[in-house]
Amino acid sequence: MRTSKPNSWTFCLAAFVTIAVALSGRLAGQTAAVKSFDGSSAFGTQWSVQVERIDPGQLDLAHSFQVAIYENFLDELNKTKRFKYVFREGDSRASEIPDLLILKTMVVKYTPGSETQRAVTTVSGATKLAVRSQLVTRDGRIVLERTVNGNVRFFGSNLRVTHNLARNIAKAIKQSNVAMVRASYRDTQQPTLNAGGTQ
Amino acid sequence: MYRLFVLRNDKSGCSGGRPLISLWALVLCSGIGALAQSPAAQLNANAPFSVRATHVLGLPNTKNNSNGTLSIQNNALRFQKHGNPDAQVNIASVRALFLGEESKQVGGLPVKLGKAAAPYGGGRVVSLFAHKKYDTLTLEYVDSDGGVHGAIFEVTKGQGEVVRNELVARGVSSSFGEDQATKQSTSEVTHANK
Repeated sequence: MRTSKPNSWTFCLAAFVTIAVALSGRLAGQTAAVKSFDGSSAFGTQWSVQVERIDPGQLDLAHSFQVAIYENFLDELNKTKRFKYVFREGDSRASEIPDLLILKTMVVKYTPGSETQRAVTTVSGATKLAVRSQLVTRDGRIVLERTVNGNVRFFGSNLRVTHNLARNIAKAIKQSNVAMVRASYRDTQQPTLNAGGTQ
Repeated sequence: MYRLFVLRNDKSGCSGGRPLISLWALVLCSGIGALAQSPAAQLNANAPFSVRATHVLGLPNTKNNSNGTLSIQNNALRFQKHGNPDAQVNIASVRALFLGEESKQVGGLPVKLGKAAAPYGGGRVVSLFAHKKYDTLTLEYVDSDGGVHGAIFEVTKGQGEVVRNELVARGVSSSFGEDQATKQSTSEVTHANK
């Protein structure tokens, strides 16, 4: 009886250590995998991107919203660190960059909401925005196309929808492997990928 | 005012000078008005102008949603957050200017927490009244490389028009922006009413 208790403790400890070591190894593997996916520099070059102003299409979208979407895009794209340079529309420096993508955005759906209505009713008054974004090369080939939504349902001002939208687009770009597209595009010189999924 | 004048004159017995005095008073008043107006108009074109504003987004090296003072000095639009160095935009680089209207809840986080804590949905009733209308001023300007920037400011209702007029008086091209601003202002009100 006396000897069995320490033995069971030893056994538990050994099992715990084994599990911990196994898990840490697995985690390390995962990190490495994520790193290799994220490291677009492995392909030698990185895209730069130029963000164009928002096209409101046929919708009557306030100019404050258009400007807010544009500015938030720039912020969020900078945060992704997927692009070597992020240029604004009209920036003369962009013409000197060889690997340049142009981000075109068109508003496809806009539901104006009200912050007061949201605060009073909780269930109504949401501000919703849907845009179609395209990453296009200089010669007009579409590298990536996504329709992304943004909305404010509970808290925050109406303009917050633009922040949420920009974050979702940046996430979509991050999830798609633009670096891979770059490599295959360079190899084949064909319109290689139209990742036209709808989110 | 004229009537008092006239009554006094009536008491003094000079009834014949009544139209003359009225005319004199009229000329005097209009003269004073003209004197008061012309220097003010001259001052408006050059004098520094400032209003309290909230920088929503867009200005470089300035935190979003920060309160400060929006001023126009020496052909530059400046935003200064209290105690911080100001961010400025050259008025000549402003390409478009839009005026809009927005309604938002006031009080920030403390009021929000209070409303959430109020029993029997009392917070909702507070929300019904705790909102305020603001003017939004949207600028589009270009930097030295030609890149397009946008900046949004919130000012007290009625002040947006004043800032816009000041900028127009200082040479901001308003042919495009004003038309759009009117249209946008209307559309935003329509949206708010929906």
